[in-house]
Amino acid sequence: MKRKGLMILFALLALVWVLGCATLQQPSEKPYRLSERGTLIWEDEFEFMVPPSGWSVVQVESGGEFGFGFLRRERGEFPSQSIFVYDEEPFGGSLKLEERSEEFFKRYLWAAAISMNLKVLETKRVNVVGGEGLAVIAEGKDPVKKEKVRSKIVFGKRGERIVSWYLTQWRHIDGSFDPSAFEVFDKFVASFKFLKKSFYETL
Amino acid sequence: MEGHQRNLYLYDRFNARVVGVSVDDVTTLKYWAKSLDLTFPLLSNVTGFLGESLGVAPSGEIKGYPVFGRRTVIVDRNGIIRYVRDGSPDFKDILLFLKKLNQEGGRP
Repeated sequence: MKRKGLMILFALLALVWVLGCATLQQPSEKPYRLSERGTLIWEDEFEFMVPPSGWSVVQVESGGEFGFGFLRRERGEFPSQSIFVYDEEPFGGSLKLEERSEEFFKRYLWAAAISMNLKVLETKRVNVVGGEGLAVIAEGKDPVKKEKVRSKIVFGKRGERIVSWYLTQWRHIDGSFDPSAFEVFDKFVASFKFLKKSFYETL
Repeated sequence: MEGHQRNLYLYDRFNARVVGVSVDDVTTLKYWAKSLDLTFPLLSNVTGFLGESLGVAPSGEIKGYPVFGRRTVIVDRNGIIRYVRDGSPDFKDILLFLKKLNQEGGRP
């Protein structure tokens, strides 16, 4: 009887251990965690502020590498939404900010397979992640699909390479852009930190 | 190809040079290089002989022209093939291999 009780106890412990493993495994599958400071740490490599509620995590492929960011679906006709992303490999190949910006806009939104007739409205030098950067604002329209887009792209440096953060806000052609998403994006970029050297910096 | 363009400064550091090989004609490659701002050489290999010499077998034909899959090949200074990978290039793997090869003195 005592032996049977021990076996049941062992079986329960084994079950708890297995369940425990399953529960513990769940958070480790997420590429991010909250820090003690209330910031978000992505794959132990990047740290930034947690976006306000309404923004959900997205992982995107851009320039052959995966980037990550946040998406907010917004009120209004399709395609009312904003998405901002950190992109480790923005389009283009130059290591110079202005040149890279020109290369980038040759292919930006190319994946969307649409012609937005994108026009750069403003370009200015900024400070980002403690170094030199370039912020570009552009807008485009597609009268056929009746869509428009407003983007802010910030180019910065990680080691020798150029990285980027960008916000893309989509609207119906008669809709109006929402500046609040751009304020969230600016805070995201301002809070961004590299916690370790990139692969390329270790070569 | 854009990934290779981004890594040119590192290829230089590891004494490596990159060449793109394609069965497309020269006019198409010129346009393609311009649109992607590529500054390294692209070879037009319409008959596919270079691909075959590097062990890339044609996977089919379109209107009599051979079609090849993507393959990354690293050849050392002695002409010996040291690295072969099929599919999309794994740039980090390529860079690590070139770094190792350069350290060994077997410059690509």
